[in-house]
Amino acid sequence: MRPPEEDIISELASEETNLLPVDPSYESVMRVVLLLVGMPLAVGISAVDYFWVAAAGGPAWLLTLVAWGAVAAIAVLAPSRRYARIGYSLGHDELRVARGYLFRVDTIVPFVRVQHIDLRQGPVERAFGLSGLVLHTSGSHNSTVTLPGLPSATAVAMREMIRKHIQSDFA
Amino acid sequence: MSGEPTDQEDWRALSPRTLWLEALRAGPQSVRLLPVLLPIGLAVDWAYVAPALLAALLLAFGYSWLAWRRFRWRVAHNAIIIESGIFEKQHRTIPFDRIHDISVEQSPVARALEIARVGFETGAAADPRTGEVKLNSVSVSDAEELRRTIRLWREHALPQETEVSAVDDKSLFRLSTRDLLLAGFFNFSLIALGLAYLAVQWLDDLLPMDLLDPDTIVSFARQSGLELWLDANRWLFAIGLAAALLLVGFATGIIRTVLRNWDFRLSLGPRALRRVRGLTPRTDIAVPLARIQSAIVVTGPIRSMWGWHALYARSLASESTGAFDHQLVPFARLEAIDKVLEPLDVSRPGNAIEWQVPDLRVQAMPGAIAGLLLGLTGLGLAMLDRWEGPTVLIVSGLSLIYTAILAGCHRWAVAGTTLYIRRGWWERRLTILPFDKVQSADVCQGPLLRSLGCVRLDLGVPGVTAAASSTIDALPPETAVELRRRILGVQPRNR
Repeated sequence: MRPPEEDIISELASEETNLLPVDPSYESVMRVVLLLVGMPLAVGISAVDYFWVAAAGGPAWLLTLVAWGAVAAIAVLAPSRRYARIGYSLGHDELRVARGYLFRVDTIVPFVRVQHIDLRQGPVERAFGLSGLVLHTSGSHNSTVTLPGLPSATAVAMREMIRKHIQSDFA
Repeated sequence: MSGEPTDQEDWRALSPRTLWLEALRAGPQSVRLLPVLLPIGLAVDWAYVAPALLAALLLAFGYSWLAWRRFRWRVAHNAIIIESGIFEKQHRTIPFDRIHDISVEQSPVARALEIARVGFETGAAADPRTGEVKLNSVSVSDAEELRRTIRLWREHALPQETEVSAVDDKSLFRLSTRDLLLAGFFNFSLIALGLAYLAVQWLDDLLPMDLLDPDTIVSFARQSGLELWLDANRWLFAIGLAAALLLVGFATGIIRTVLRNWDFRLSLGPRALRRVRGLTPRTDIAVPLARIQSAIVVTGPIRSMWGWHALYARSLASESTGAFDHQLVPFARLEAIDKVLEPLDVSRPGNAIEWQVPDLRVQAMPGAIAGLLLGLTGLGLAMLDRWEGPTVLIVSGLSLIYTAILAGCHRWAVAGTTLYIRRGWWERRLTILPFDKVQSADVCQGPLLRSLGCVRLDLGVPGVTAAASSTIDALPPETAVELRRRILGVQPRNR
């Protein structure tokens, strides 16, 4: 599907451990969120088109067409691509998260470094039964690591596992 | 899942008196609504203003109430759990083991309402949006109980701290007056000139004539015969002007340095560095050794010719100041800096160290593209016979040269379990980063890096505000992944 040379990070990934994909319905979550943000924008642009551009004798419907076309294209294409790039692996003492389509980031957080743990759930995610896991490490730069799109039960289980590690490392 | 307690009664809400606090805060905050309310009054009808204000306040209060309803917390057997969020729900777990201390604050109003704000110091408090851990208001008894619980936990979990022997602070560094003046000399700055210009502009209205208007100056020169004198002594005038500029620049630098670093002393206490410096204000701060994360040695192309360097320590911000960098040595030779680095448990790279040069193409690329675009613009302007053409061309050429120099200045090296990163030409920064201070590590790749087959290694280090000092640009992917393994493989020394 993708040209092999594009995929340096994913290849290296397979050297250490294989990355697991997040829940497939996260793709739908991203799509719904994109539509929720994009459609009002498109409606607004259509209104501008209708009330001003068309009224002033400009190229009617061109703006509207472009706006809705862009929203549709992004909603169709972007989520699947982004979804394909999100992967994680849970080592016995660290979490690895790889994500990003255009700008790729591959993060490793040792559990020892975790300061506190968040579970996050937006309204759309709730409808799909998903949660995001957010690990906070010390300091300001790169201090949060987010793994979105986990089934809520998995997210809770992962949190408990990481929590145990924080305790056991303590001694 | 097994560790999840199921008892529901355990959950506690914030004190309902929180809402009083919110309501009190809404009063002064409604001033912010003025820009919206005024036009309504002016354009529509003043009768609408009061209902609009009321509606806005009700809405805000409703939001606070909903937020309060949704906020709940409880103390599990080894962690504090906080749930919040109206639209996006958040479930936060803060293990006791990660809580260094608990602060209990009370504003005067809060004292009257018998509530307190509890803050958890976890070392992750730097990002206020996501990382701040606070219980905004709980009853005073709850706050005290919470503090007791956590202190107890820490006492039985932590080995007892060894008795601190009452030794006097050991002096690590003192800035002599001669070095202070010399440091001021290197602090050359023309900022005073800018201030003078602003002052003249501001005084413009008060003065009978316009000082900055060329016509005024020329006519003044004509009247006073200055023009004739200038014409005759052109060289003398130019030299005088240059000398005056230099004098102002050096004087500014020296005055600023003296005010800031007068009688600079750094000493080593039992567990912290203590720094005293300055005339007005004279400051005295303590930097706990355990909180220092990395050291940075800074110099410049001119300073380094005589071997002068400065030393900074990066630490977790303990106060709300947000200043992560602590200047430990303002101006000294490397031998003096080594003496300060010793208690920090780090050292400068030795002479034998092998510096690695990240891919030059990648580093120079953004600057080169910008420079070339500028060059093309300059060429176009020159072809149109515009006078800006040659200037723009020269600027683009200079920027290309600077880009190349800058790219060549970025180096990294590893010795034992320490990572060294060097960057910058005008301000040369050498970051000394022990592996065990690295919290997380990203391997990143954008479109540009991908086209060149490189990645960037981005290390999460506490207290690093400028991302550049903890990243290595343009590494081959294999090197980056291997380096990351090595760095994260080193466990923390003292938690």
